Amino acid sequence: MSNLNLSGKDILRFLVQHYDFVQMAFLSGKPDFVIEQDRFQTLVDEYNTTNDSKITVSKLFDLKFCRQLTSGEYKINGNYSTFLEFIFDDFVLDLPETLKTRYQAIFGNFINLQTEIDENKISLYIQDIVNEVESFLNDIQRQTYRLLRDTESLKVNAENNADLTIRVQKAAYWIDEYIIPLNSVLNKEHPDSIIATIINIQRYASEKRFSVNTFRLKKEFEKLYACVVNANSELDQTIGKLTRELLPLLERIKSDSLILSGFYHFIENIDQPENYIIPLPDLLKKENNSVMSNNFSAVAEFYIDHFNPKNAEVIYLEETEEIEWMPDTSYFKELLLSENGSENFYQWCFDVLQKHTNDIPLSKFFTVSNLILEEDLKAEYLHENRFEIALSDVILKMPKVKVYAISE
Amino acid sequence: MQYPNEHKKIVSNLLDGKFIISSHLFNVIKEQEDDYIEFFKKSYGFDLKVEADFAYLSSDDVKETRTRDFVLFLAVLCRELDYSGKNFRDTVELGSLDISETFELLKQSSKWEILEKTTVADFEKFITTWTGKNLLMKTGSQFKFTKAVIVFLSFAVNIANAKIKEEN
Repeated sequence: MSNLNLSGKDILRFLVQHYDFVQMAFLSGKPDFVIEQDRFQTLVDEYNTTNDSKITVSKLFDLKFCRQLTSGEYKINGNYSTFLEFIFDDFVLDLPETLKTRYQAIFGNFINLQTEIDENKISLYIQDIVNEVESFLNDIQRQTYRLLRDTESLKVNAENNADLTIRVQKAAYWIDEYIIPLNSVLNKEHPDSIIATIINIQRYASEKRFSVNTFRLKKEFEKLYACVVNANSELDQTIGKLTRELLPLLERIKSDSLILSGFYHFIENIDQPENYIIPLPDLLKKENNSVMSNNFSAVAEFYIDHFNPKNAEVIYLEETEEIEWMPDTSYFKELLLSENGSENFYQWCFDVLQKHTNDIPLSKFFTVSNLILEEDLKAEYLHENRFEIALSDVILKMPKVKVYAISE
Repeated sequence: MQYPNEHKKIVSNLLDGKFIISSHLFNVIKEQEDDYIEFFKKSYGFDLKVEADFAYLSSDDVKETRTRDFVLFLAVLCRELDYSGKNFRDTVELGSLDISETFELLKQSSKWEILEKTTVADFEKFITTWTGKNLLMKTGSQFKFTKAVIVFLSFAVNIANAKIKEEN
């Protein structure tokens, strides 16, 4: 039966008593906290089978834990989901666009505040700004915390290249989609950034807390001033975490994973150099006596090549060989003997040679004249007078010698 | 080009395939970076690479074939350090490693079957070889990577980026 007068204690008691169910429903519903009808019923049934204290769907409605949508799905109440995110320390990352919307609300209220003269409305605008700033800080802190925690978990060792690829993708995604946009939302230099607006509000509230007339408004502007001073310092810390810790950490994870991923592909293709997408670094190999450039080397080799010993090509030229006629010693000896010797041996030598050739050099002459040394021939010098024999290469002055065969 | 007093040492070190790491010699190269790039290109046909902290020669023709082994060694080492929960990049870029412990770590790897067919198998000699090229620094039983290891880490990043580009 519906209980119309639920107290906070009833809600807290429900959360304590059915903590496991609430957690299951929370996890099933993330990130939009909408659960399909069948799934929701299964969760309730499973919980009731294993637990003594039972729950019913109608009881959940009574507690405003959820409501059924027209599509049949169940939607967890936003107040619960926000509280449960806090309890389970499990936040859904909001896109920086969501944060921008909150910033725009602060900015809009600040514009209205500056032109408002009604004291009650001024109080309301201040309260709205304080609430929005608090929510904004809360969101930013949750985002940063969540990003830091996820980044830490991203550092865990990758078992294979698929894990490495996911690491690279996630790191790149967070950098591009969260860190950089968050930085721009928080950028002090940008006139439209939240920081710039908060600084403006701080100046305005600082002046107003002294200039306004009523005590009530003074207190309101004091409250606003304290709120934005605090916001300023908290955002400074958050920016520090984002830019000095988270961004370098993510960049590091990204580049480390790229190194491991690159090496992974290298090892995989180690035996197929043709598959190397990137060629290996071309380190120089130590070469002894490397004193010339390749270009010079090629020219030098070409030059030196000319001096390399090669098997000579033998070319036979057919030429008419003049066979020099040489006197046949034995023929002339026979001739000499047949003439019973000679009274003037050297003249005889010249004369007989002339019968065979016109060219009588010293060599030919001596071939015949050497007969004088034959043992069976005798030479007699008749007198001292000499006569000339003109050979083709020399003129001889020879004595008159008688040569004849020694009779037996 | 005005030849500095250290010219002969610079040329011989670089021609020996050594990295010249942040030092007086490196500063001399850095001061005459353009001159030296032209000198090595015209004299030898080699490319002088001058990075932020080190310089080395590169050539398409006279390649150090053992480079592949070094990259493989570094790849497996990074992988194993990452698996064992260490921050591999800090260890590689800043830390010292025990030679025998590192060898054991590599041998336990499922990729050891690849490494054992390379020059890494004779690990002491491997460390000595690359110490000679100033890519490693050996002190007693320890060794560490010099700043030149960036060349190989960048190589890996380039592969990964090319792969991502290929997949998209």
